[in-house]
Formats: sequence, C-alpha cells, structure tokens
Amino acid sequence: MNRAKTDRGEAEHTRIETEIGQILAGEEELLPSSGFAASVMERVRQEAALPAPIPFPWKRAIPLLLLACGGIVWSTVELVRLGVPGLNLTTLGQSAQSWLTISLPPLSAVQLRSLEQAGWVALALGTSLVSWLVSRRLAGRGGLL
Amino acid sequence: MQPALERAGHTIRRGTTARMNAATSAENTQADLADVARVLAGEVAAFEGIVRRWQGPLINMAWRYCRDRSRAEELAQEAFLRAWRGLSRWRQESSFSTWLFALAANVYRTELKRFPTETLPLDAAPEPAGLATQHNELAAQLSQDAVRRAVLALPLRYREPLVLFYFHEMDLAAAARTLGMPEGTLKARLSRARTLLRQRFPQLKEEHGARKVFTLETGKEAAR
Repeated sequence: MNRAKTDRGEAEHTRIETEIGQILAGEEELLPSSGFAASVMERVRQEAALPAPIPFPWKRAIPLLLLACGGIVWSTVELVRLGVPGLNLTTLGQSAQSWLTISLPPLSAVQLRSLEQAGWVALALGTSLVSWLVSRRLAGRGGLL
Repeated sequence: MQPALERAGHTIRRGTTARMNAATSAENTQADLADVARVLAGEVAAFEGIVRRWQGPLINMAWRYCRDRSRAEELAQEAFLRAWRGLSRWRQESSFSTWLFALAANVYRTELKRFPTETLPLDAAPEPAGLATQHNELAAQLSQDAVRRAVLALPLRYREPLVLFYFHEMDLAAAARTLGMPEGTLKARLSRARTLLRQRFPQLKEEHGARKVFTLETGKEAAR
C-alpha cells in the first residue's frame, strides 16, 4: 500500500519535472532589433579609434619597487630599533649598527644621531625627487631621466 | 515559416530550433576563424560578421538570464564589446562559440550581480488569443511565465546551469563548457534546481482537454 503510494508520488514528481522541462525548453526566441548590430559596431569603432592604452612600464617600475620595499623594510627595522631600546641587541639591529660602525669613522653618539637624522631627511627628499621625475616621465613630458 | 510577433520593436519567434543548429555548423566555424584573423590584422569592419552571426544566440542567452528584452540587448552588446577587447586572448583551443558563450555568461553573471533584475517588464504579459481558446491559452501562458520567472528566483548556482542547459537545447556537454564546470557537477546542480522548482510548484497539474493547461495557484482563476 505504502509502496504503491511512494511510487505514485515519484511518478508525479517526475511528471512535474518533465512538464517544467518542457516549459523551459519550449522557450520563445527573441530576434535582435534591426539596429542592434549597427549599434554594437558603432561602439566597437569608437573603441578602435581611441589611442591604445599606455602599457605599465614594468621594466622601470620593478627596480623602483624593489628600492621602495627595501626602504620600507630598513625604516621599519630602524623604527623598531629606536622605539624599543631592548631590540638594540637583535640580530638586525646589530648588523645595522656594525655596518654603520665599519663604514663610518668613529663618531660620538650625538654626531651619529645627527647623521642619522640628516640621512632620513636626505632619503625623504630623494624619494620625492625620484617620484616627481618618474611621474613626469610616465606622463610623456620627457625629463631628466 | 514561424509565426512572428512584434512587441516594442522586438520580434519573438516561438519554438524555433534554429538557435544552436547555426552555432554548430562548420560554415560558421570557418567564417569565425576568418573574421577573427581579419580583426586581429586590424580590420575593424570584420567584427561585424561575428556580431551578425552571434547576435541572436547572445541576445537569447541574455534574455534567459534577465527576462527583460531591452536589458538583454544591453547585456549582449557588452558581451560583444568584451569579446572585441579580448579577441586576441582566444587561443583556439576551444571553438569560437564556446569561448564567446563562456565570456558572455561571465559578463551576464557579473552585470546581473551589480544590477539585479527585480521585476518582469509589462511587455512580457501574454497577448490575448482567439475567442475560443482565450481561457486555456491565457492560463497556459500565465503558468509558463510563472515557471520561467521562478527560475530567476533560484539561487545563482542552480539558476545558471538550468538557464544554460535549456539554452543549449539540453546539451549537457555544451552547457558544462560554457560554465567551465565538470558535467557531473552540472548534472547534480540541474537535479537540485528541478527539485527546487518542483517544490515551488507542487500544484502543477495537467488537465485534460483540447490542449495541455497548467494550473497553478496564481493561474487557477484564469483557468476556470
């Protein structure tokens, strides 16, 4: 009894799904309006008439990006080292200090601090100058580079 | 010759099977290859051949996605523009139609996510039939429209396989290629979509008479 009921239910489900399938398959077809192709071609011609987009200058950008990344890493290390005195003993801090010690003649702590500040100012000015030159170059106005 | 109806500047044809037959013809494939080569060589006008060959399928595909005639043409136009921009990316590993349909499906999906279709336009209302058959035809039309609108209300993961399966005239492989998914996954989603629709229309019944009439809760009054 129950089996027959279940079978009837399944048959009904199948029939409904078939009917839905028939409705969806028997879809009306739209024909394009007469001006459709012309309007698409008009837009295509407009696009074709536009100047080709300027490709991104990866060859020039990659060294600059690497330089910028290096600068960010270095400044982060320096900020951490200056902000947290305990970190002076970290490997990175030590290597930075040893590099300064090796390449510079012996300086007092005050002189070293002034030199460091001057270095930051020079770096900021240099970055500004480079970004100005690069933007002029990208805008196609020629320039110093 | 199929009867054609003019509605708001658009023509509709019922029950035609010409849609995908043209798409699969070798003639079209050769013409597509030639036109693509000409376009890539810098001949902009050659793109018109592609537009004329594929405007029907692309508009009909968009129509199934949104059920709005004007929007379907807008979407198809956008798809053609994307095809124009990306023509050099077609590697000829698949047929041009497969590439174009996949690109169009992507455009329609993205555009309809940005601006979803909410209502059915008024011009989609059924036209009155002859006096003798008016009741039955109207009822059938109402219930068929209800089923088609219900497809739009399905979640996207089930709606899109259903739309593309019937657009490709129940060619599972073609629908799977357009969606870029395995046939097994598509089958499972189709099955789930059908179940959801069946649950949505449990009262879909066939009445006996001169023609089939589908009665729904919404269509009962019109049918009786």
